[in-house]
Amino acid sequence: MDIKKLAESLNPVERKVVKVLDNFSSFHDIVKITGLKDVEVARALQWLQNKNVIKINEEQKELVFLDENGGKYLKYGLPEKKVLQSLEKPAGISELKEKAMLSDEEIAVSLGVLKSKAAIEIQKGKDIIVSMTDNGRHLLKKGFIEEQFLKENFPRDAASLNEEEKFVVDNLRKRKKIIKVELSKVVSAKLTETGKKLVKEKLDEELIEKATQSLIKTGSWKGKKFRRFDVKINVPQVFAGRKQHYRRFLDEVRLKFIALGFKEMAGPVVESDFWDMDALFMPQFHSARDIHQGYYIKEPKYAKDLPEDIVKNVKAAHENGFGTGSKGWRYGFDVKRTHRHILRTHDTSISARTLASKDLKIPGKYFQISRCFRYDVIDSTHLPDFNQVGGFVIEEGINFGHLKALLRLFAEEFAETDEIRIKPSYFPFTEPSAELQAKHPEMGWIELAGAGIFRPELVKPLVGKEVPVIAWGVGLDRLAMFKLGIKDIRLLFSHDLGFLRNVKVI
Amino acid sequence: MPTITFSLKDLQRLVGKKLAIGEVSELAHYGKGDLENYDEEADEVKIDFGDTNLPYLWSAEGFARLIKGILGMQKGFPEIKLQKGDYQVIVDKSVAKIRPFIACFAAKGQKIDEYLLKQLVQLQEKFCETYGRRRQKVSIGLYSYKRLKFPVHYRAVEPLAVEFIPLEFKAKMNLREMLAEHPKGKEYAWILDGLEKYPVLIDDKNEVMSFIPIINSNFTGKLEVGDENLFFEATGTDEEAVNLAANIFAYALHDRNFDIYSAEMKYPDRKVVIPDTKKEAVQIKNEQINNLFGLELKESEVKHLLEKSRYNFRDYKVEVPAYRKDILHPYDIIEDIGIMYGFDKIKELPLTTFTIGSTLKINEFIDKVREIIAGLGYQEVMSPVLTNKEFLYKKMYMEDFGTIEIEDYMSETYSAVRSWVLPNMMEVFSKNKHVEFPQKIFEEGLVNIRKSDSIVECSRIAIAASHESANYTEIRQVLDYVMKCFGLKCDIEEAEHNSFIEGRCARAIVKGKKVAYLGEINPQVLENWNLEMPVAAMELNLTELFKMIKNK
Repeated sequence: MDIKKLAESLNPVERKVVKVLDNFSSFHDIVKITGLKDVEVARALQWLQNKNVIKINEEQKELVFLDENGGKYLKYGLPEKKVLQSLEKPAGISELKEKAMLSDEEIAVSLGVLKSKAAIEIQKGKDIIVSMTDNGRHLLKKGFIEEQFLKENFPRDAASLNEEEKFVVDNLRKRKKIIKVELSKVVSAKLTETGKKLVKEKLDEELIEKATQSLIKTGSWKGKKFRRFDVKINVPQVFAGRKQHYRRFLDEVRLKFIALGFKEMAGPVVESDFWDMDALFMPQFHSARDIHQGYYIKEPKYAKDLPEDIVKNVKAAHENGFGTGSKGWRYGFDVKRTHRHILRTHDTSISARTLASKDLKIPGKYFQISRCFRYDVIDSTHLPDFNQVGGFVIEEGINFGHLKALLRLFAEEFAETDEIRIKPSYFPFTEPSAELQAKHPEMGWIELAGAGIFRPELVKPLVGKEVPVIAWGVGLDRLAMFKLGIKDIRLLFSHDLGFLRNVKVI
Repeated sequence: MPTITFSLKDLQRLVGKKLAIGEVSELAHYGKGDLENYDEEADEVKIDFGDTNLPYLWSAEGFARLIKGILGMQKGFPEIKLQKGDYQVIVDKSVAKIRPFIACFAAKGQKIDEYLLKQLVQLQEKFCETYGRRRQKVSIGLYSYKRLKFPVHYRAVEPLAVEFIPLEFKAKMNLREMLAEHPKGKEYAWILDGLEKYPVLIDDKNEVMSFIPIINSNFTGKLEVGDENLFFEATGTDEEAVNLAANIFAYALHDRNFDIYSAEMKYPDRKVVIPDTKKEAVQIKNEQINNLFGLELKESEVKHLLEKSRYNFRDYKVEVPAYRKDILHPYDIIEDIGIMYGFDKIKELPLTTFTIGSTLKINEFIDKVREIIAGLGYQEVMSPVLTNKEFLYKKMYMEDFGTIEIEDYMSETYSAVRSWVLPNMMEVFSKNKHVEFPQKIFEEGLVNIRKSDSIVECSRIAIAASHESANYTEIRQVLDYVMKCFGLKCDIEEAEHNSFIEGRCARAIVKGKKVAYLGEINPQVLENWNLEMPVAAMELNLTELFKMIKNK
């Protein structure tokens, strides 16, 4: 940076400081000369050093400081002086105390000091009588070297004391809180070559510090310069209000499906066994239906709003195949049980509701993003609540080939790859069933989706006729975690504000 | 989720061909399985057969049988040469209402070694736990029949009427004691809940073989290494499933060169010979293959693919092996044609029909509200919907206003569905006491409230600010701003709500409907959450608000 620009970048405090640096270098002196506060000078020195104007030097030194009582004595005089002044005539201890206005301790110390200087005499009789000697009178006239010392500029570098001063320091140190000698950090600043050039610049030019409304309104900025800012400086962090990271991810997934021509569906969190399982042709004795696999709710136990005609169809499908060419599961379907309330265990329940709805459009493409619940231990890979993304495509004449193309589309949209594997799988409600694995450019092979063609025993009771329905569910949580750069699935629902404010936006 | 473990060498022996582990992994896909692990040193292969309905694959024998079909080493399915056995099981009518079905057979001619015993126990356990629904639907027992005196009897008895020494125990116990004291008794006692009599299998010398479906006798009910005479028993509530268990075991043992001897189940009204290897025949149509896979195959191709999959085929009549009971619809067979053809070879067909994508209107509205609140500087959070009553009410200094509770929860922390969202805001604050203030947060989500015998589900948004000077004005400004954004006129009235400070709590009313509570949070609530900073908050019903905007 050239010197002129540098000069224009100094703020008023820096200017004040830099101007005195030609003559003074110690922190203490700078404070004294500029009349600035300690912190202002410290900050200014740091800034100046950042600008390569000065070099700050810090060293450990033994320093002599004025202590609490030292300050007091400097202002009001040493107690021994007061004692001498009160000895125009010999006096007793209590009289002295009253005249000199000193504490017992100060009197005692003062007498000791004066005695050692042969400035007083103490007569011990019935009462103790103190009287001033000639030496004392001389001393009072000449002044105390200790008092002279207290007037020095503190702190003093212990190494710079002369013999007499050393003697005074040794004496005063023995007394209570007059001076203290401590190892301390001594800060000094020295102009660099740049700094030396800088101080020769015109540093008195008036620079505008702040662009204010009145400045602009009155036009008083015209013909003046604004102080230059260090635009590379670090500034304090700010936090915006923003959407939750995982929810934002799901919002975008939703947009993607809309863009692909899918229509969003919805269903309640508290489902019935009917929509959650029975309508999906999962037999009531299926192992996935053990009490320990789902969250059944206490009250109300049973749903009241099931479409009873469709319940009848589903019952027939379970019992005898409902004319689909299937044997059915061949057991007595429990109509009461089908009404049992359960927290939705998977999102396919919403597909079942949509298929049975009078608003169903054929051909149609549907999707949902929904909160589901499965009985599981909570750890870094399992949550009690999780989000499922799934749906179906219903259209006359579609088959497994279309399902494959759809899965490829998902791989391209969500895992940014066209490298896929589709392998046989099993779901109780689809035949055939397949699993999509996609080779994500960075994550490698991941299981991305489960899919299949809904069984006729499922479709006919709900839709009223047999139509091919491609059903699919995509598992995006791992992808979300990868994109967000998190390893623990619980962070998708994190309550840590530090994390929420700082997690990357994807 | 059955994951099975077996020796690769054993699989190769059963198949009669050397197989690399990579090939095994590929072959597992035909059975809807995934190779999970291969420990070369221990010669141990682990395959996860997922949530399938093909329990015959849960043993090396079944898997090897499928592989022989895939590789074209055998066509169609193998027949078991059944020997007629002199084994009778007399089924008493007392079990009819408890656990009515039983299927037994005997196998001999081979010595059971340690590995085979492990394989048999593995198949037994996987079958009973998964397909047998934790022994309730089917349970299986294996015996050394040399110690048995036939005929054996299947009947129900009083819990205190019989005593025997259960497996791995030393003293005699009665049935009730076993349920209370034996580990298996404790584990499976629930199956017998509420029964007055318990099913047992007893031989003709009155020696108890098994307390069904709990535990076998330590004397007659123990199969050991070195045994050559195996007696199989499966009981349950579903005859087809019980017979399937017998067939799967009979086939597995037959594959290991055992001679299979049939047994006769003598029910009060009929006799059944087990294994029942009657073939089931299903008629399929060529066009069904086209419907499902878009494939046009010649009859010879269909025959070839089905035989690889170990069906017998003639004139589109497909015979299903007796170790499979998963065929309900012809499509179940068509799927296997597709699998053998190869999913990867099936041509992709793009979906070309034009459809219009759309989101739910309420979600569009919710997104607008979220955007507005975030714009006001609030950080969005997301919480589980599952929570507990302590959080919902006790800590909020509130009475229960209608909760959906989980009947059989795993952890009390997640024992109820949330009935409002504000407690989640307090929970977030309580976890962030040392994070920089001001803290301003919001969450939109579903709540469920029980109203006597019905359930109301709606979307709510909770908004909360916590800092030194958080107050009513601040949160009221948020409400006013939201209302203004949607052009809604909102009336404010004084309200009483325990979670808020008395006199600093309001209710917002739009078109006569209560849509929100807002105010400064009661210090008692703050104390309950161990908070020190004031909180101003509101909870707004977006479902109601959306209705008003729609009907404007």
